[in-house]
Amino acid sequence: MPAILVENLTRIYETTTGVIRRKKKEITALDEIDLTVEAGELFGLLGPNGAGKTTLTKILATILLPTSGTVRVLGMDAVAQEKELRHRLGILFGGERGLYWRLTGRQNIQYFADLYRVPPAEVKSRVPELLELVGLSDRADERVEGYSRGMKQRLHVARCLIHDPDVLLLDEPTLGLDPVAAREIRGIIRGLNDQGKTVFLTSHYMFEIDALCERVAVLNKGKILMVDTPSALKDLVADLEVVEIECLGAPANVLEDLRQHPRLQDMRVETREHKQILHLQAPAGSELVQEFLQILKEVRVEKVITRQPTLEDAYVRLVGEEALHI
Amino acid sequence: MTHLQSLAASIRVIQNSYKMQMAENVTRNTFQFTLALQPVLFTLLSVGIYRFAGKPDLSLYGIIGSGLIGMWNANLWTSGFIVQGERWSGTLELLLATPSSLMVVLFGKSLSNASASLGAIFITFLTGALVFRVPLAIEDPLGFFVGLILTLLALTTLGLVLGTLFVLTRAAGNMTQVLNYPIFILSGLTFPITTLPLWTRPLSWALAPSWGSQALGQAAGLSDEALMPAFLWLIVLALIYFLIGLVAYRRIERIARAKGGLQEF
Repeated sequence: MPAILVENLTRIYETTTGVIRRKKKEITALDEIDLTVEAGELFGLLGPNGAGKTTLTKILATILLPTSGTVRVLGMDAVAQEKELRHRLGILFGGERGLYWRLTGRQNIQYFADLYRVPPAEVKSRVPELLELVGLSDRADERVEGYSRGMKQRLHVARCLIHDPDVLLLDEPTLGLDPVAAREIRGIIRGLNDQGKTVFLTSHYMFEIDALCERVAVLNKGKILMVDTPSALKDLVADLEVVEIECLGAPANVLEDLRQHPRLQDMRVETREHKQILHLQAPAGSELVQEFLQILKEVRVEKVITRQPTLEDAYVRLVGEEALHI
Repeated sequence: MTHLQSLAASIRVIQNSYKMQMAENVTRNTFQFTLALQPVLFTLLSVGIYRFAGKPDLSLYGIIGSGLIGMWNANLWTSGFIVQGERWSGTLELLLATPSSLMVVLFGKSLSNASASLGAIFITFLTGALVFRVPLAIEDPLGFFVGLILTLLALTTLGLVLGTLFVLTRAAGNMTQVLNYPIFILSGLTFPITTLPLWTRPLSWALAPSWGSQALGQAAGLSDEALMPAFLWLIVLALIYFLIGLVAYRRIERIARAKGGLQEF
C-alpha cells in the first residue's frame, strides 16, 4: 500500500473582486493530478511560486478539502477520515510562523503533545529526546521570541515529531535558513527517513531535492509535468553543457543578442548582489564559449565556467521562464 | 483509544490550553490594560457620573456594572484575539491539523480568559471603596459568589461562540470593537435596561451579562427580587451558547477546510 495516493485531484479556489458588483473568479491550483509516494520514501516536490505545492501539502495534511479527486494517506481518506489520519501525520510549514513566540520552546512542544493526545508518560521522555535531536536542549526554557530563525525551524521539526508520525509533510523546511542551519535540518530529515518515516518534501532549493530525494515531481500551474528520480530528470539535459559567465552590468540589448545565438538552448540570468551570472545552456561539446564572449566583448567578464547540467538546469528546461520564480 | 481515555485527553487539552492562554496573556500589555486599568477607569466614570447626578445610591450598581464591563471586555477582546492571535502566529492551521477539536482548544482558552477576568470585579470594588468610600458590604455573599461563577460560565460559552465564528473572518479584531458598546448598553451595564425602549428587551435577555448584572446586583442588595430566576437564566443561556458553539463549530470547521486561507491575516 502506498503511503500517499493522489488520483485525479483538482482544487479550485474561488475569489471575489469588486465591492458593489462582486465578481467571482475561479483559480485552479491543482488540475487533475495523480501521484504515488511509497511507504518509507523520501519524495520531493518542485515547482515555481503558485504552482500548487502548498495547496497539495495542505490537502494531504487534511486541512484543505479538494474540489474533486481522491487523496488517500496511509490508506485513509484525507477528506472523510481526517481525525484518525491526523494522529499519523507530522506537518511542518517553513518560515518563522507556527509557534507561540511568548512561550518557551519546551512549552510549545508540550502543548502540541497534548493536542496530538500523546500519553503524559510518553511526553515526559519524548520532549527531552526531541529537544536533544534538534539541538535545543540548552535553550528549551527560553521564550521562542529570542530564538534565531534556525532555532525556530528546528523547534518546528521537534513539534512535528512529538507524536511519532509515520508520514512527514515538510513544506519548505529550510526556507530562509543560513547554509549551516539548513544543512542541520537536512541531516535531521535524512535521519528520520533512515528510521523508516515517509517524507513528502517541498523545497526551494534544487540541490536539496537532489541530495535528499529518491524521486521528485515537478509541478507547474497545477499540473505534474514529470515524476522520476533526480538523475532521470537530469537526463533531460544530458545532451547539454552549461556555460556560466559572471559579469558586471551587461545591458539588455547584449543579453538579447546572446539569447538570439542560434545554438543556444536556453539562457537564465541570475542577479547576485551587483553581479550577473548568465547560465547558458548549449549542446554538449559545442565549444561556444568564445562566441559568447565575443558577444559580451563590451562587458566586464569576471569568471567563465563550463560545467555539467544540474537538476536546476533540467528543471528550468522543463518549467521554462517561470522556474526562476521558485 | 477508549471513550474514557479520549475524555481524559480532551480534559488535558482544556487544561493546557487554559495554562497556555494564561501564560501568553500575562505577557500582553493589552490584556493587562483591559483587565487592570480599564475597570478602574470605568468605575471612576460610572460612579462619578451617578454621584455628580446626585444619585449616590446607584454607586454599587455602577461598580458591579463596571466590573462586568471589565469581565466582558477581557472576555470579548481575548476571545476575539484568541483566534486572531492564532491566525497571526500561523498556529491556527496547525491547531486544525491536530486530532484535537479546535473547539476544545477554544473552550480552554475562553475559560482561561473568563477566569482571569474575575479580577476586574475585584478591582472595581477596590476602586469604589478606595476612591468613593463605597462600603464593600455584600448582602448575600454566597449568592454573589454563585452569581459570579454562573456569569463566568455563561461568558465563557459566549466567548466560545464568538471565538468559533471568528475562525471564519479575518476581521475578528474589528468585530470585537464593534460589538463592545452595544453589548454594554443592551446588558444594562452602564445604566438600567428599563431606560431603554421596550423592543430592546429581548436582546437584553439573550445576553448573559444582563443576567449576570441582575444576579450580582440582587445578591449585593440592590433589589429584593429572588436570585434564582437570574441564576436559571444564566444556566440556560450558558447551555444555549454552548449548543450554538457546538453546531456552529461543526459547520465552521468544514467551511474552513473548504475555503482554506486560515493562515491569512
